[in-house]
Amino acid sequence: MSSRPAHALHPAECETPEIAAEPASIVAPDHKPVRISVIAARWFRLNKGRLRAALIGALSLVAFLIVWHLLTKYRVVFFVRFTNVPSPLAVHDSFTKAIHDPKFLMHVLLSCRRIIFGFSLATLVAVPLGLVMGRFKLIHEVVFPVSEVLRPIPAIAWVPMAIMLWPTNEQSIVFITFLGSFFPILVNTLHGMVLVDPVLVRAARCLGARETSIFREVYFPASLPHIFTGLTVGMGVAWVSLIAAEMISGQYGIGYFTWEAYSLVQYADIALGMIAIGVLGLTSGLVIRSAGKLAMPWGRT
Amino acid sequence: MSVIEAKAGEGHIEVKNFALSYETIDGSVAAVTDTQIHVKPGEFVSIVGPSGCGKSTLLNAVAGFLKPTAGTVTVDGEEVKGPSAERGMVFQQYSLFPWKTVQENVEFGLKMRGMDRSRRDRAARTLLGLAGLEAFGKHYPDRLSGGMKQRVGIVRALATGPKVLLLDEPFGALDAQTRVIMQQILNNMWQRLKISVLFVTHDIDEAIFLSDRVYCMTARPGSIKAEIPIPLERPRQQSMMMSSEFLALKRGLMSLIREESLKAMGGEISDQGLQGLNIDLHGQSLADVL
Repeated sequence: MSSRPAHALHPAECETPEIAAEPASIVAPDHKPVRISVIAARWFRLNKGRLRAALIGALSLVAFLIVWHLLTKYRVVFFVRFTNVPSPLAVHDSFTKAIHDPKFLMHVLLSCRRIIFGFSLATLVAVPLGLVMGRFKLIHEVVFPVSEVLRPIPAIAWVPMAIMLWPTNEQSIVFITFLGSFFPILVNTLHGMVLVDPVLVRAARCLGARETSIFREVYFPASLPHIFTGLTVGMGVAWVSLIAAEMISGQYGIGYFTWEAYSLVQYADIALGMIAIGVLGLTSGLVIRSAGKLAMPWGRT
Repeated sequence: MSVIEAKAGEGHIEVKNFALSYETIDGSVAAVTDTQIHVKPGEFVSIVGPSGCGKSTLLNAVAGFLKPTAGTVTVDGEEVKGPSAERGMVFQQYSLFPWKTVQENVEFGLKMRGMDRSRRDRAARTLLGLAGLEAFGKHYPDRLSGGMKQRVGIVRALATGPKVLLLDEPFGALDAQTRVIMQQILNNMWQRLKISVLFVTHDIDEAIFLSDRVYCMTARPGSIKAEIPIPLERPRQQSMMMSSEFLALKRGLMSLIREESLKAMGGEISDQGLQGLNIDLHGQSLADVL
């Protein structure tokens, strides 16, 4: 046993096969400075897929605009009537007019403010409530039945009740927005808490963690991916609820703008309002996604 | 190094008249009955047995996650009342916190103890160096291979300077080559730290290679069927696994476990089935073995 055979494992040798198996990104490549053209070519090769997707995406949007243009230019009537639908150029004209019009900007800003208030309130209430419900059985047993009964009621069905509950129109619209995002956030946070890997909780206990530390260091970060799913869904529903509420009871806001355009036979403004709502929804979704990436640097992209 | 230097004479595990049963709708079901085991300070002890024999249950009771229905579990004379940093544990499913970097994972136990940042940082670096992982401190566990994750898991459990280290099939999820390397690494670390280890596995080679003593458990309800001292010289090398001494121990343990595995499988296996499976009964009939 004194002479070790050649294949005997030595600690230093043990490291090599595993490290070698790691993706190249872990072992930093220490290249000499290379020519720009070489780097550009390499970048192109690595991002070919993404460039292709961007190019096709842009072409597809252009094609959409062309089809829209042709349908409205020839006033096509084929089951659907395009007789009164504004053309892309008419919408563009009304857009250039609108961005110089402080009233249009006010509609947009007011809607944004309602979303920020309603959605932030919903986040501030639903996330802690979901976390606490997931951790303490009694709170879950008390709150869950009520939330299950209220959850299926669409936020928009709350409009008459909201008008009775709140002294001002503004408050009731924020309340509707709040309700719309509240339940998706609550349900997803709770779901995240239920799915926390019990082995991680046991590991934390073995390392001397007490209840509050386990909550802060294990349950909360473990639920974060689901919390952000809830925030994304909640933001979508918040916009749906807001626009509906504005159309019914509003005096300002982009939903009201769109509805008013119909009443005033400003057909181009209808499409403009719709596009503005789409852009706002898309932007707020992107904001949440980037916040999620910042909050969870460990996540797989 | 001071953080992990085992205190001499500490880490004496004593499990006496141990039994653990679960309540089910059909009444209580015994998982482990009438079991006595002990681990002396600085000793490496393994528990092997057929699957479902309650070896993990026993380990979880030592960790403090399960309360014995009867009997006592003590470490250095103190009764185990719940999980604590005095008993470090390594799980089969890695169990690293995905939202913490490797370094933060290793620091976790020290942070819970209230150690300040700079001392924590120094201790974690030392430990990661010991496991050959100093270059990976800033990585998230997601980017590590299974073997590296489990090395971090072991180092994290050692960071708080526990009296004993409990390992629940820690290499069960690794591929065969990595497992062999990890066994050697664990063996080397233990050799340096001289900490008491209780190691649960179903891999007989692994148990013999690492241990001073091996307990073999019976099929459910589990109890100790045999206690086998492993007199192989230390430090151990992988090459010993081919020695006649090692193979003799392995043969003995295998026959013990095979009996229990057959029992655990119950009536599913007949004499005919065994022939099909090419299992050698050494001239005995199945009834004799059972």
